[in-house]
Order: sequence, then C-alpha cells, then structure tokens
Amino acid sequence: MRLTQTYSKNENVLDAAKRRVKFIFDNFTDIKVSVSGGKDSTVLAHLMLNEAKLRNRKIGLFFLDEEVVYSSTIEQVEYLMEEMAPKNVTPLWLQIEFNLTNSTSLKERHLVAWESGKHKLWMRPKKSYAIKFPNWNIENQKMENKEIGLGFYAVIENFENCYKNSAFVVGLRATESPNRWRTVSKNPIHVNGSNVYWGTKKGENFSVYPLYDWNFHDIWKYIFDNKLKYSKIYDYQFRKGMNIQEMRISSLIHEKSFKSLVEMPEFEPKTYNRLVKRLKGIELAQETGKSATLFKVSKLPKNFTSWLMYRDFLIKTHPEASKANLFVKRFAKHLKNERVAKQQVRQLLLNDTENNIPVSNKPDPRDELLAYYKEVL
Amino acid sequence: MIYLGFEEHEKHNLIVEYRNNYSIRNTVIISPKQFPLMFGWSDNIEWSDTIEYETFYRLLQEITEDSLVVLSEPLRSQNRYDLTYNCIRHFLQQTKHKIIFQQFPQIDIKEDFMILFDFDTNSKWKKYKWDINLILDNIEINVKPLLIQLNGITVQTQHSTKEKYYTEKTKMFNQIGNKNPDTIPRNLYLVGGKDKHAYIKSQCKSLFKNDKNDKNVLFVARNQRLKSDNILTYKNARNDNKSNYILIELPHKFIDFTDFLKANQQLKYDLLVADLKVDKWYLKKYTDWINRINETYTNLLKK
Repeated sequence: MRLTQTYSKNENVLDAAKRRVKFIFDNFTDIKVSVSGGKDSTVLAHLMLNEAKLRNRKIGLFFLDEEVVYSSTIEQVEYLMEEMAPKNVTPLWLQIEFNLTNSTSLKERHLVAWESGKHKLWMRPKKSYAIKFPNWNIENQKMENKEIGLGFYAVIENFENCYKNSAFVVGLRATESPNRWRTVSKNPIHVNGSNVYWGTKKGENFSVYPLYDWNFHDIWKYIFDNKLKYSKIYDYQFRKGMNIQEMRISSLIHEKSFKSLVEMPEFEPKTYNRLVKRLKGIELAQETGKSATLFKVSKLPKNFTSWLMYRDFLIKTHPEASKANLFVKRFAKHLKNERVAKQQVRQLLLNDTENNIPVSNKPDPRDELLAYYKEVL
Repeated sequence: MIYLGFEEHEKHNLIVEYRNNYSIRNTVIISPKQFPLMFGWSDNIEWSDTIEYETFYRLLQEITEDSLVVLSEPLRSQNRYDLTYNCIRHFLQQTKHKIIFQQFPQIDIKEDFMILFDFDTNSKWKKYKWDINLILDNIEINVKPLLIQLNGITVQTQHSTKEKYYTEKTKMFNQIGNKNPDTIPRNLYLVGGKDKHAYIKSQCKSLFKNDKNDKNVLFVARNQRLKSDNILTYKNARNDNKSNYILIELPHKFIDFTDFLKANQQLKYDLLVADLKVDKWYLKKYTDWINRINETYTNLLKK
C-alpha cells in the first residue's frame, strides 16, 4: 500500500503532514497536542514529538481522562506521555470531576467522572502527575447546558481558555465524516501572513489539523512503518471482523458509542467487571446494545404493530415524569409518521434528553408509496 | 474499457487478448456467485468476498501496476457508494488495466450506469450525475444492445377472482402496518395465478404454437404454488438455459429478471397478463423499464 490520497496532487499525505508540523513549530511557541489513546492521535503525537526532539523543544500532550475508558487506552496514553519522548513532553493529563452522559440507564443519567468521595468506585486511581483540579476560575467556567452542567466539551473549552495564542493540535481526519470535514475547513486562519486551510480560530487560540487529509490506511501504514505501539482494542476489533467505522476507541457510555460495551467483556474482562460496579445500566447495554428490538431500534418488539404505538408506550411508562414531558414537548414539533416515530423511540430508549442524536423530521417515503399503490392497484 | 452485452466466450477471448497485449503479470476477476467468470490462470474472487478483510487486504497488496482487474457483471446494487463498490475502487486505483463486462447498462435507471463509469475512470467524477457527454468523452464502450421484448397475452379472470382481488387489496392496505409497502403489489400479483393456470391448460395448443407436448416450452412463475411440471420458478429457470419460456408473472425487482435473462439468453417473451389492475401495472412497469434501457443504448451508441 502507498500513501497516495492527498488534497494536494504534488505531495503525499506524510510529506504534507511533516510540512504542516514544521509550520506549527515555526509559528507557535506554545503547542498542545490532544491525545485520546487512539490510532490517529498516536500518529500525531509521534510526528509532533519527532519535530520537538529535532528542535529541542517541549510540547504539551493533553488528555482529558473520562475515567470510564478501556485499560488499553490508558496504557497507550502512558506510552505517549512517558515512553515516546519524555524529555520533550509536558504531560497535561486532566483527571478532574465532570459529567458524562450515560445512555445505558434511565435511572443514572450521568456519570460523574472522578466523583469526589467515590474513590473506591473509580475505575482506577489517579495518575501521580495528573492535573486533578480545574486550572481555571470555576466561578466563571463555561457549562455545556443546564442538563449536563460541566460536560466533556465544556471542560475542553475551559481548559483551552486558560491559554492565549496556543496551537491546539488535533488528529481529526476529514474522511471520517462530513461533520469533521466541516470542522476542519469552515474557517481558514491566517498565521503570520499565511493562509492555513487546515486550522480554525478558537477563542484566543488556534486549532490545527495536520492529518486532515489522511485516510484510515495511511494511519495504519505509518504505525507499521514506524513500529509504534497501538491500543490492543484495535486487534480485538479486527479479529472480530468489525468494519472500519466500528473500529474506534471511543467513549464507552455515550449515545453514539455505547455499542462497544457489547464486546467489552471479551476484550477487557477486568475493565468490564469494574465498570459494572461503577455505573448502572451497563449489564443491560452489554447484553442488548446490538439487539434489533432494543438499543439498535431496527425491529419492533412483538407486542407493537407501529413505531408510533411503541413510542407512546415508552412515554407513558417513562420512570421520570419530568423527562417524559421533555420528550412530549420535543416530539410535538415533529411530523407524525413511522419514520420519525422510529427515531423518537431511539431517543427514548437512549434517554437522549440532550438531543445528541437528533430526529430527522421529514415525511415518510412509505406514506407516499402507499398512496401511489392505492391509486394504481 | 466497458463491454456491454458480451457473452462468456467473448469475455474469455477479450481477456486473453488484453493479457497478451500488455504483458499482464496477474489477472484478478471479480464476479458474482450466480455468474462466475473464472479461469485456471486467474485469481477468481466471488463478489461477496470482496469486502472480507482477508480478500480486501490481500488484493491491495497483490494488485500492482502490471495487474489486470476484470469486473464481470458488477452491477449488483444501485447504491453508488455501496461498500463492495468502494472496496473495488481501491483495487482499481492501483492499476490502469481494467475490463468491465456487464449485460445491461443499468439495473433500473440510467444513473446506474455511472457506477460502471466510476470504475473505468478511477472515480474521478463520482459526484457527477448521468451526463452522456461526460461519459462519451472519457471512456471507451463497446455495446451489443440486448433488446428485450414483452408481448402481453390478456387472460380473462373469473368474477370470483376479481372479488378476491378487491377484498385482498382492502385487507392488505388495512393491515400493512410496518411492513414494506411493496408487499402489496407483490401479493396482489399472485391473485390471478389460478386463472392463468386454467388459461394455460385451455390454450396450450396455441401457446405452444403447434405441439402441446413441446417439452422445450416452459412457463415461469414467481413461486411453485401452481404445482405443475411445466411451470418453473425464476430461480430454477436460471439453471435451465435451453428452454423457451412463457412468463406467467414478472419478478418485482428488475435485477431478478436480468439475472434470469442472463442465464437463458432469450430476449423475446410472451407474458400472461390478467385483467387485473396489478397485472397491467407490472406490464407497464417493465415496458417503461425496457424503454429506459433502449434509450440508454441509443445514447451510448451516439459516438
């Protein structure tokens, strides 16, 4: 395999990324690389640290620790922070108390990661060198919304706001989704007279994406060529025959990614056991995360003949009246058809009060087809 | 290069000729299970295996600049971004030697042809819709038009059949619930079956032209419910490529019909059409489809 895909026809993605990395070092004194323990940020950290070594400079490696993650992810972040080029790294491992959506339980809606007073339940102890308390003024801190309070993205925003004119380097790749492509390309920045199309302005800082044009295979080619360590989870997923989109090291309990719980007992039994004690709903999600009649929401349960009927049943039997009302109000703005009702059922089952998986409120093509058949048959 | 309407022996000759002309090191042939195109000297890949890791990554390694990739009957889905198509695009990026064989230019609409066009152009215009000038300017096509003809034979149904039809229709619309709406025409189409069967028995002499025991004339229906030795299903008929067929019903999906056509090479058919709305609807649906295919041929042959 060759590194061929690039948005510039005259250079391959690796050379382009190296050029972008040099540009970042040439133009920013304060550089922070976001890492997640996944394959993309591993490649990014390696490229950045290689350049840091050449220039004898130090860069920050920023990891927002959600507590509920694979042990392999933690091992990978340790590898990046402690083994890859320790002399050139300022570890920014954030282990502070914040809220995460728990889509696996109707009763325990949020996980308070690193919740004080619950040390014994934590998935693991905090790192000795971690940042354990917010390094910003909590009186003026940004909140996600009323429902979640200080959530994942709010923590990142507050953290970034502690700095000025810093480059936050992110391993985001445009090929992963149109949303990511928009994130990269929507607002090009101007840095010391140069137009940078792979970066965006964020408050008083800059976010830059030197790997934006890499594809899945480019990442693995780089890891192989440079003999980098990577999370074992990818090997498990590959052996399970998961497709490219599914092979991700992401949050374990979020609406969009809780399906990873299904395979977790097989991949990391100890982490799974710990998680079951830590949070409600895990066992149910593990057993039914890919079930057609439950979390996958692809088949109606036997007792129901329509999604509308099933939706109304779920609202009626919702354990929290205030949450049920929230859904009723939201759904009142939607069209009344099976296509929409199916998506509403998904929101109800995942208790998606924050509307993280929005309903596509469009007419149902089935209705149109049925009307046509009524006329012609 | 795209070849439309070529037979298996012609495909073989074209591949051999190409291999000799361009000093090809290895030949990879991807073809669906129903219509395997395989030779002892080629790497034969079944369509459904293309997306398997063990096949995909192996081929990425093995297909190089001196490899020939042959796609035989690759139009299996109308989704231009189908996973199998995407995998094949990766292979085709690695060599300029490619031959694409397809029986008909489309499954349903002319847009389907753009899938073949993408294969032949390294997906350079993947976001473009059907544009005959773009197509003719950028690819080489060899077309042998296959002109399908359907001749409708009207079958009068009994009053009880007509009553049953309207009862069934009302019932189906009331009970459709969450089921696929296509189940309505599919099921209604079967209602006239008994009358068609009776018609076959009474009219076999004229249907068989001269000989009512002509064993080469067989009927094709959706399923085996009519229980008769001379009535086959489309699936069974695919494996029996020597007969002359008369159609009792048409398949709901065009691809099932083209698979049938490909297997038996017959292009002119008599079709029994009951005097029910659904039968007329199916005949029109297929007549329109044939016209669409013929229009595509006309466009492709403009050059």
